[in-house]
Amino acid sequence: MIILALVWLIQDFFQVFVTRIILVPEIFLLAALYMLVSGPLHPRRVAGWMWYVFCGGVLWDLRWAAVPGMSGLLNVAALVAVYWIWDRTPAGGRSTALFAAVAGTVHLLSGAALYLAWPLPVQAAMRIFAIQQLLMIPALAILCAVYAFKASKAHV
Amino acid sequence: MAGKLNPILVNSLLALLCGLLLLWSSFAFPGPVRMLADKWGAALYVPELPALELRMLVQATGNWVMERKSLQDRNSELELENLALRTALQQAIAPQPIEAGEMIGGRVTLRYPDAWWKEIRIDRGARHGIRVGAPALSDGFIIGKVVRVGDDYAWVELVTSSSFLLAAVVDDTWDLGVINGDDRGNIWLLYTPPEKKFERGMIISTALVGDYLPPGIPIGKIWEEGEPRDGFMPQKVVSGAHLTQLYNVQILRTGDIRRAED
Repeated sequence: MIILALVWLIQDFFQVFVTRIILVPEIFLLAALYMLVSGPLHPRRVAGWMWYVFCGGVLWDLRWAAVPGMSGLLNVAALVAVYWIWDRTPAGGRSTALFAAVAGTVHLLSGAALYLAWPLPVQAAMRIFAIQQLLMIPALAILCAVYAFKASKAHV
Repeated sequence: MAGKLNPILVNSLLALLCGLLLLWSSFAFPGPVRMLADKWGAALYVPELPALELRMLVQATGNWVMERKSLQDRNSELELENLALRTALQQAIAPQPIEAGEMIGGRVTLRYPDAWWKEIRIDRGARHGIRVGAPALSDGFIIGKVVRVGDDYAWVELVTSSSFLLAAVVDDTWDLGVINGDDRGNIWLLYTPPEKKFERGMIISTALVGDYLPPGIPIGKIWEEGEPRDGFMPQKVVSGAHLTQLYNVQILRTGDIRRAED
């Protein structure tokens, strides 16, 4: 949880740095998803992660949107979706590529839902959304590299 | 399976409920929600301070770079403008070279030893368009004027001749005088006021006082003051041309000038 709080602060740090220019990618959500899939999928543990991401989303909205609840709900939905896919995938199929695909898709859908809620002109909102999704790629690549490294160590 | 999903399902529903409640409250009670947001923002002030400072630093650096680039561009523009103006000024004040089409080149065919500083004869005459009074030049400086013309020759009276008189102007001060020789190789600028101080190297050119001579043809440079005479202070002038080694001269086609003036 402490790591997740630090990641939240890092995302907030970046958002302060580039405020009024772009939206930073949901590093907090991606990190939470990574932490979820890199450990055992016990129901109580998953439920705990659910509240972590919910609180993180609410706090993010309080800081940047002043309409708390939206990001919290999206984070919870993303976490449940990833859990659902990961839980139904055999252990042999839980590859780095699958994590990248699932996390990337969830991030994209979460961003799209927020994009639809933004009271911005379509063109400006689309530009912000596209940049956010593009910036997500390096963050996801780092998490995938860490996941792959841990997976290779576990197999050795 | 159902046992595994139950806590997740319950917590999901609870989270959904809380989320919707928060969303509803942010619209129903905007005041308290804003106050909460303000307090959360204030609590984050310290952790966000480095990012804020960094952003301001980057912005200041960007502004500085932009300002510097703008100043450099402006400086380059001004330098170019300055260069253009300087070139235009130099072209305006420099003696204008006389175009080759207005000049008639001639070779010196005779120079008597006893009239060495008085006159020379050249191999161009009336047949070539030379007229009496036309100025003769060498190396771009005036050395005399045509005094007699034959069909195929002409005599040029040199500026060092004591009978040579030519209105001239000091370019730097616009003082007028008369150029006159002394038959011994010296050139004098006569009738300059004694109280006037001229500096060595000041350029002397022809003045706009005659029909035959265009103004601005350089004659030479002031060298030193002479002896006061008749209430004036003559200035010794050094010709810009090599008067001791005159082999080729150019005669200005004066008829063209008069037509142009007409």
